Amino acid sequence: MRAIDAGILICGECHELNRQAPEGVSQTCSRCGAIVHARRPNSLARTWALLITAAILYIPANVLPIMTVSALGQGSPDTIMSGVITLMKHGMLPIAAVVFIASILVPTFKLVGIALLLYSVQRHQPLSARQRILMYRFIEFIGRWSMLDIFVIAILVAVVNFGRIASVEANLGAVAFASVVILTMLAAVTFDPRLIWDNTESDDDHE
Amino acid sequence: MTEPVDSHQLDDLPLEQLVACHECDLLMRKPVLKLDEKAHCPRCGYELYAHRHNVVQRSLALVLAALLLYVPANFLPIMQLHLLGQTSDDTVWSGVVGLYNTGMRGVAVVVFLCSMAIPLLKLLCQLAVLLSIRLNIGRSYGLLLYRIYHHLRDWGMLEVYFMGVLVAMVKLVDLAELSLGLGLACFISLLLVQVWLEVVMSPHQIWSALSGEDLHACD
Repeated sequence: MRAIDAGILICGECHELNRQAPEGVSQTCSRCGAIVHARRPNSLARTWALLITAAILYIPANVLPIMTVSALGQGSPDTIMSGVITLMKHGMLPIAAVVFIASILVPTFKLVGIALLLYSVQRHQPLSARQRILMYRFIEFIGRWSMLDIFVIAILVAVVNFGRIASVEANLGAVAFASVVILTMLAAVTFDPRLIWDNTESDDDHE
Repeated sequence: MTEPVDSHQLDDLPLEQLVACHECDLLMRKPVLKLDEKAHCPRCGYELYAHRHNVVQRSLALVLAALLLYVPANFLPIMQLHLLGQTSDDTVWSGVVGLYNTGMRGVAVVVFLCSMAIPLLKLLCQLAVLLSIRLNIGRSYGLLLYRIYHHLRDWGMLEVYFMGVLVAMVKLVDLAELSLGLGLACFISLLLVQVWLEVVMSPHQIWSALSGEDLHACD
């Protein structure tokens, strides 16, 4: 049985249970004072909006250079992928793999994964609830790790600071990339995981 | 383990005897936990709550340790780079300033928030919450601050920053001579203390201590 069926709302912030007030009244949690909703309002629409924005920014994030390393006056702009390839050419495979996973696989997986979650919740298909909740948790957990490349740039800009001899500069791609990471993290926050179970439950009950 | 019960009985039980899973909305009878036990949702496996001993005292010690480490971790050099007789220092703060000066203001702000501001705010919120439980004052502010803490939680990214330090080191090792600074040791300690703190400070117990339901959180 779901809490919502028993007329009980869980506070989204402190997880206290509250009896549902009559329809149309905005209700606050009896313990912490946060506004309680049966489900996050407009969860699907908001998540879609954030996701689509992220998907659009995903293109400049990968095409534009994220930083320029200049040595002795000569600069070479690096995109995310070319950074990974440089690392591989220098034989640093484990680190290349970490960067590849954090900045290419994870954002792509997140975009596709959240889209799949939304689609399957809306269409009651094609993944089982258990697969979906595993995917949701994975996306929620992994999201922050895509910031890795941004932090690497910050560190390089600070430490490689020798004027004309050698310097590192951040480029526009970094802005787009940081936006993609933040937007997909927000999308994971606005998505209400309880929706995953709602429609499976009603499927089982034939309501 | 908790058991989902028949629907009709559950409706009639008072709220204090019930618990609902935050992730899948399954309603259950509330289990009584002994020390160091955890309750998981039987349907989706989400950790409902845990019962640990000495939560407030242990967390307070960890928060203070983390706050002491915060300043050296952010302002002492993490590493130094030597190139052609010149030396440059890298601190968390100088990374932010460097980005800001190259015109990447938005990215600089994001890095500042994720690696410095939010971790500090999180620690300060936790400190205030723990003090308000311990000294029994300002509970309503404690509740508000603890709510803010939960919103900030995902946005503090010390562990990701640490991984970034490692990647940057590998990238630089061929380019120039690299030496590690005291800041790195402080940063790693801060990271470890903070992770430990998140394990110890079990939210369920803090919430009920804040609202005065749980008298054993201070044990």
